[in-house]
Amino acid sequence: MPSNSTQAKERLPIPPAQDSVASAEVSLYRNVLRIRQEHSLLDLGISFYDAETTIQWSYNADQYFHAASTMKLAILLGVFRQVDRGELSLEAPVHVRNRFTSIVNREPFMLDLGRDADPDVYGHLGKTLTVRELAYWMITKSSNLATNLLVDVVGINTVQLALDELDIDGVRVLRGVEDQRAFEAHLNNEVTANGLLKMLRLIADGKAYSQKACDDMLEIMLDQQYRSGIPAGLPKAARVAHKTGNISTVHHDAGIVYLEGRKPYVLVILTQFSADQGRGTAVADVSRDIFNTLAGNLDGDE
Amino acid sequence: MAMSSVEVTQGLKVVDAFDLDDELRAILKPGEMVRDAQGRRHRLPRYFYEIASHEAALSTRLTTHFAMNELILNDLREAPRLQQYPRYVPCAVRILAFYLEQFRAACGASVHIAVNGGYRSPSHKLSSDATPHMWGTAADVYRIGSSILKTKELIEKYNDIAEDLSDDILVLPYGHVTGANADDHLHLDLGFVTLIPREISEDRMEQPQENRPRFAFEERRAKDRRTPAAED
Repeated sequence: MPSNSTQAKERLPIPPAQDSVASAEVSLYRNVLRIRQEHSLLDLGISFYDAETTIQWSYNADQYFHAASTMKLAILLGVFRQVDRGELSLEAPVHVRNRFTSIVNREPFMLDLGRDADPDVYGHLGKTLTVRELAYWMITKSSNLATNLLVDVVGINTVQLALDELDIDGVRVLRGVEDQRAFEAHLNNEVTANGLLKMLRLIADGKAYSQKACDDMLEIMLDQQYRSGIPAGLPKAARVAHKTGNISTVHHDAGIVYLEGRKPYVLVILTQFSADQGRGTAVADVSRDIFNTLAGNLDGDE
Repeated sequence: MAMSSVEVTQGLKVVDAFDLDDELRAILKPGEMVRDAQGRRHRLPRYFYEIASHEAALSTRLTTHFAMNELILNDLREAPRLQQYPRYVPCAVRILAFYLEQFRAACGASVHIAVNGGYRSPSHKLSSDATPHMWGTAADVYRIGSSILKTKELIEKYNDIAEDLSDDILVLPYGHVTGANADDHLHLDLGFVTLIPREISEDRMEQPQENRPRFAFEERRAKDRRTPAAED
């Protein structure tokens, strides 16, 4: 990790810490300020919990951000709530259809086929995919079509009910994705770093409904195919169960980091920037910084 | 009654839905009156083909190019019991298949019926109002040949072909109002056609078996009559 700039040190209002934990936290804070400045971020939210050291640390973690595709974790939770209750089968077939209803004035809308990254789902238009397959593509390739289909299957109220049942504050899910009328009406899904952290900790600990449900969710999240966020700041051997979120002005990643020889840590990084700037590598830089702070002595291979 | 409720027609077993178990009768609602979106009342079909297995559905050809399987594909919105075999489909599905075969020939390409696009039971989650899908006499087509029907031009082109085939065929015009229009598929239907197989003697409708109501709604009404009305 690059050394801190003199400028960042001068701005830091915290005196040097004496013990190692406090020292690490001060170091993290300095580096976060530096990364935020280097990447000209408009906003940055971070929260992590390390099961090995039991350290929990956050920065701006209760501020709401546009959720982008991190909201798909909440949909996954809603799906597995229904599965766990026996009200939905993972093998149930779902008609793949590109037609949805806006939460504003109930008008129908279709997804832009060119924007979705997942032809695996579009290729089944008019046919079926199972709930399990849709959940897999929703998370691993962030398929918007799969997401909206699952929202239709379980209902947005069920998703919010799941969040409420598990006392997850900081995750607000109003709708599926690409509902342009809702976007224009500022009706967006929002998350805080602490909200996503709570959700991921429950999943990591096997406490989001059943252990089986958590194991199934983790199995899907471990197959994530977009790895430019948290994984890009980690050694190659690290396994990360995570979900990214990108729109033109935000880049997020929220995940559980598994490293050999230690308990996992849960990390959420939310970034917001101006539309003309592009997303850069801020998430990976923060991830690298936190890895070095928590577990960098385990493996120097980056 | 001398007549058996189960007959065999052209390799398919015909059942009188009144003879099915309580759960199936509650799902299929044989003979019940339902309202369409305009408030008009229609009586649901009573005679169904029983399809024993997925293999039977695949191998049962209604016409040269349409197998039974294609007209009973549903997703999780269908009642769970009807997602299992044996499956049931109103006998009028045969007439639909006949017209679909003509339509296929007129299009000069394969016609793909979508999931939930053929028979949908009255308990299907898309069955809020009565539609001919509940009679097995409607089809939603999402793809013809290699063309996915997602544009106004394509849907209107094939709507014209379907309408030219017969005055019996109704298509939904292109548009965005669910139930009245279609904007991502072609909907064609024959109306609320009921087919009574020739093996069936309809006198049973007039003289139901002892202790068996003629229609499920009559059973419920009888119960209602036995239950004193609650006082306000």
